[in-house]
Amino acid sequence: MKIAITGGKGGTGKSTVATAIASELAKTKKILLLDMDVDCPNDDLILGIKQKKSADVENMIPKFDFDKCIKCGKCSSVCREHAIVFVPGKNPILIPEQCTGCGACKIACPAGAISKSKQKIGEIFKGKKGNITLVSGRMKAGVEESSLIVNAVKRHVKCMEKDFDHVLIDTAAGTHCPVIAALMGTEIGIAVTEPTPLGAHDMDLILELMKELGISSKIVLNRSDIADNKIIHNIAKKRNIPLIAEIPYSKEIAKNYSNGKSIEHPAINKIINEVSL
Amino acid sequence: MKTLTIVSGKGGVGKSSIAASLAVMISKQKRIVAVDCDVDASNFPLLFGVSQLDKKERVSTNYKAFVNNKAKNCKNIVDICAFSAISWNEKNELPEINHFLCEGCGACKLLCKEGITLKKVKNAVVGQSETKYGFPIVSGQLEMGESGSGNVVEFVKSRARKLAEKTGAELIIVDSSAGIGCPVIASVRESDFVIGVTEPTPSGLSDLKRVFEVVDHFGIPHGIIINKHDINPDFTRKIEQFAKESSIPILGKLPYDKDFVRAVVSLKPVVEINPKYHKTFQDLSKTVLNK
Repeated sequence: MKIAITGGKGGTGKSTVATAIASELAKTKKILLLDMDVDCPNDDLILGIKQKKSADVENMIPKFDFDKCIKCGKCSSVCREHAIVFVPGKNPILIPEQCTGCGACKIACPAGAISKSKQKIGEIFKGKKGNITLVSGRMKAGVEESSLIVNAVKRHVKCMEKDFDHVLIDTAAGTHCPVIAALMGTEIGIAVTEPTPLGAHDMDLILELMKELGISSKIVLNRSDIADNKIIHNIAKKRNIPLIAEIPYSKEIAKNYSNGKSIEHPAINKIINEVSL
Repeated sequence: MKTLTIVSGKGGVGKSSIAASLAVMISKQKRIVAVDCDVDASNFPLLFGVSQLDKKERVSTNYKAFVNNKAKNCKNIVDICAFSAISWNEKNELPEINHFLCEGCGACKLLCKEGITLKKVKNAVVGQSETKYGFPIVSGQLEMGESGSGNVVEFVKSRARKLAEKTGAELIIVDSSAGIGCPVIASVRESDFVIGVTEPTPSGLSDLKRVFEVVDHFGIPHGIIINKHDINPDFTRKIEQFAKESSIPILGKLPYDKDFVRAVVSLKPVVEINPKYHKTFQDLSKTVLNK
């Protein structure tokens, strides 16, 4: 089964829960954990897995042949990212950081002066510990489109997914493109949240997103006792989404996390049972 | 007019909580505008007790491609889409566009002029509100499943700048989102000073370093606030060492304190919950304003 661990708000315990589920399941099963928080991947730190680079992630950028270029400026005018600067009578100039590799310029060029070149936008790392194989995407700092890295990780693991009993996907915070890309194609999405107005606000957004994507949602309430948890129960009830486990705040968990260790807690087994993994 | 931006890389380390209290304390000396640039989970206004924005406008910063019946011969656009948003529907013999994936780049339209229309989509709502603390906040929320968070951040910031000009504000305080991608890059761009909030955990430090790579890219001076410094004093020393080695100033350290949770729950900045934090954040604002 393919399960995503997400939440909307940052720092609610997504990676803590994802690595804990992976560690528990790995006692008897083969688990592929994908760290799709490509902006800031941390699962390797929590699990203490030393990863090796498995591949570079590249995307297409245009390469100009200035002998063929007729200086018409069409490449610049079709580029919605404003990545090509054109001054009449001069050669076009590319700003690589702005380029998403859509290829519109190459299609638009009437002189065939643009060919495909590549730029590195990130890396894929792979490592193993017992039955857990961890694959992480890591975006190069300064690159804007995190979702390109997420999709590259997905392509990278496509052939090996069948060798595992379950695939767990740890997403980034938020609800924008890299989260959408990570969620697409998963069957179940676990929203990890906390009982604060901010946790509730962002969880409501991610539940709405999963509804639109047709993903079956579950809620896990972390640090369930730091404030009145009615705020989360109410949303769960209103949306008719099961709240499958509560993890109370514990200094032990916080301490383990701050030392880069994964956690063990009865609530983790409860999650596994509820999702019937 | 100057811009101060708060980032963290890692989410949930206390970025917005700290930004809220800083805003309140700085506003006692300077006219400010607070800005929420976490447009895909915009909750900064909540920390000031603002649950509804006024003067809302729906903004369109992005395009999406739409297919019509003239696209029958456009099977070739399936492979050129760099975002894998186009598939071929055998039944209708038409391309099909997944709007969750479409970035609106327009490459498909160049190959299929008649069969594809590019339409501007309303992808966000931007609004502003007066807080109880004597300054306004500008915020934006991306519509569900829409893309273009970087462009929306730019829009929110430009609206905040206009408001600052109108009200004679000297400082804009920007709360960015977690991560290091497009919305964060757009938040950091054109800032005068950046504060990186972190916590003493391996993830906290690793992500802080990642976001500072972006800040360095723009050459913007920056400093560090260590939140919950007492949950792991050994690791706090590691962060201090990193700061020293990289010549980045530590602007301040805050303890782990349930008052921060109480503050969030009662929708108030922590300086309004416990007066002992007045001095802490006053000192912090002084340090920041000197930068």
